[in-house]
Amino acid sequence: MTSDVKLLDINNVVIGIERRKRETLVLVREANFDVNYGEMVGIVGESGSGKTMICRSIIGTLQRRGAAVIGGEVLFEGLDLRTINEAKWKSLRGKVIGYVPQSALAGPNPVLTIEKQLAEALSQVEGTGSMKNRSKELLDLVKIRRVDTVMKQYPYQLSGGMRQRVMIACALASKPKLLIADEPTTGLDVTVQSQIMELLREIRRDLGTAIILISHDLALVDEVCDKIVVMHAGATVEVGPTSSMSKPRHPYTVALNSSRIDVAKPGGELLTIKGNPPSVGQWNPGCRFAERCDYVQQDCLVGDHPALSGKKGEHQSACLHADKIGKI
Amino acid sequence: MSKRDVLMEVENVSVTFGSGATAVEAVKNCSLTLHEGEPIGIVGESGSGKSTLARVMAGLQPPSAGQIRFRGDNVFKGNKSFQSGNRNQVQMVFQDPYGSLNPQLNGLSAVAEAVRIHSKVGKDEAEQKALELLERMGIGKLDALKKPRQLSGGQRQRVSVARALSASPTVLLADEPTSAIDQSAQAQLLKLFLGLLNDGLSIVLVSHDLGVIRYLTKRVYVMKDGVFVESGDTETVFNDPQEDYTKMLLASIPGELGKAARAKLKR
Repeated sequence: MTSDVKLLDINNVVIGIERRKRETLVLVREANFDVNYGEMVGIVGESGSGKTMICRSIIGTLQRRGAAVIGGEVLFEGLDLRTINEAKWKSLRGKVIGYVPQSALAGPNPVLTIEKQLAEALSQVEGTGSMKNRSKELLDLVKIRRVDTVMKQYPYQLSGGMRQRVMIACALASKPKLLIADEPTTGLDVTVQSQIMELLREIRRDLGTAIILISHDLALVDEVCDKIVVMHAGATVEVGPTSSMSKPRHPYTVALNSSRIDVAKPGGELLTIKGNPPSVGQWNPGCRFAERCDYVQQDCLVGDHPALSGKKGEHQSACLHADKIGKI
Repeated sequence: MSKRDVLMEVENVSVTFGSGATAVEAVKNCSLTLHEGEPIGIVGESGSGKSTLARVMAGLQPPSAGQIRFRGDNVFKGNKSFQSGNRNQVQMVFQDPYGSLNPQLNGLSAVAEAVRIHSKVGKDEAEQKALELLERMGIGKLDALKKPRQLSGGQRQRVSVARALSASPTVLLADEPTSAIDQSAQAQLLKLFLGLLNDGLSIVLVSHDLGVIRYLTKRVYVMKDGVFVESGDTETVFNDPQEDYTKMLLASIPGELGKAARAKLKR
């Protein structure tokens, strides 16, 4: 493994969607982060902050929604994913890059048994041994018990947590280098959530798979990830190793932190973030968080959205006044 | 403060779905009391029967056995509930903010409709009251005129709460109100609930998330397979859980809260 080539490098990515009258609506601008081999990276942000769009740009399914990467680079092992054709995508998507979609309950095909479901995923990759044995191995990998029974069952007969395990098994069929899990536990119980997180950690440890975990739950990401990427209104506003993110350097992260109920006193003050995230296409000049920010100054309201400070790999913040945070 | 009056009593309630060999006993012999102005929590995993129990308390689901009393009166007479009035006193907020609002009605009409039904006032007056309620839930006039699909999950949930409040209830039953919305929207909703408690409302919060329960409630019932396995002051249950099941639930909370419980479990 070469040391300076990152597994994934998202560089100033701009994602837009073409509207009528040839007008382009920008959904993501100034997205910046990277993922090392075997690293577990969490992406957090409110609904609509562009988390899922970034993922789609990594697995090349943006155009299905009429969107496209219109600026910057998405580098996967040094290869610019903007330049590759559909044939090349087919050799990456679901093979080198695995994807677990958001809704566990709607994920698996309802009319296929789990065995057929896994066989479909496995038919895309080479391997030895019978399909049945390979399917069983996959189910073992995601810690499903009673494998023989489960293989014959349909998704509706499984619980939400089990269905999510099956989806993860499908994504692992080809032993990908990168696994993207888009809010894998939304709508599941906390107990199931903690089991799924444990499973992801084990997959990372045993298979060396790098994992991108998308979530709106900072407490969750804080606990399992090596690195945290904070997104707001289509921009990366803060990136850093989990250990140093406990001292956030962007007011948005500060605000997210203070809305965590796991650290709040019962009935005590729970700070909420002022207002709503700015709507797509209605971004004001300057910092897109300025309207909701307690630290806002005159210079926040003009020019472009502030760039991330410092170098990639370090703790970076896109706040012009990061040095004042915690001092008001 | 003197001991508060008992508002609702659930006595030995069981609910069985189906019959014969396929019968499922979703709630088994559960009893609880709710006092005036008190926030209580019911916590458990999916399928533990907590939503069914909440539906019984709201008068939506007749129990197979046992009684529910509101201010001393039986809620159910046969399969019919709240025959002697009081239906407006117990209101429910449902789990799914995407499914519980009529997609054709904007927030204002949805709430105004409920106001008209409950307080028998004219259209203009109802809309005025609806606007006030929505305002209190942090939904301004501009957003109140939007259809549900134009609102975020958190906003929809707040419209649902405003609709429940239109009946001027004394008890609000909230079934997993925060599980489908994101963290900052959750904080916003919990803050509103705190405000409602200050105004004297009783809240029954049903959730699988002990973090939410700890934040809002004073007493908690832990439910497993239709049975209350543990109950008591929320703080006590959190600091000194007796049942393995409660300990496991605690250890599942992500972040700081679960950390201590996880450490204890490993020991």
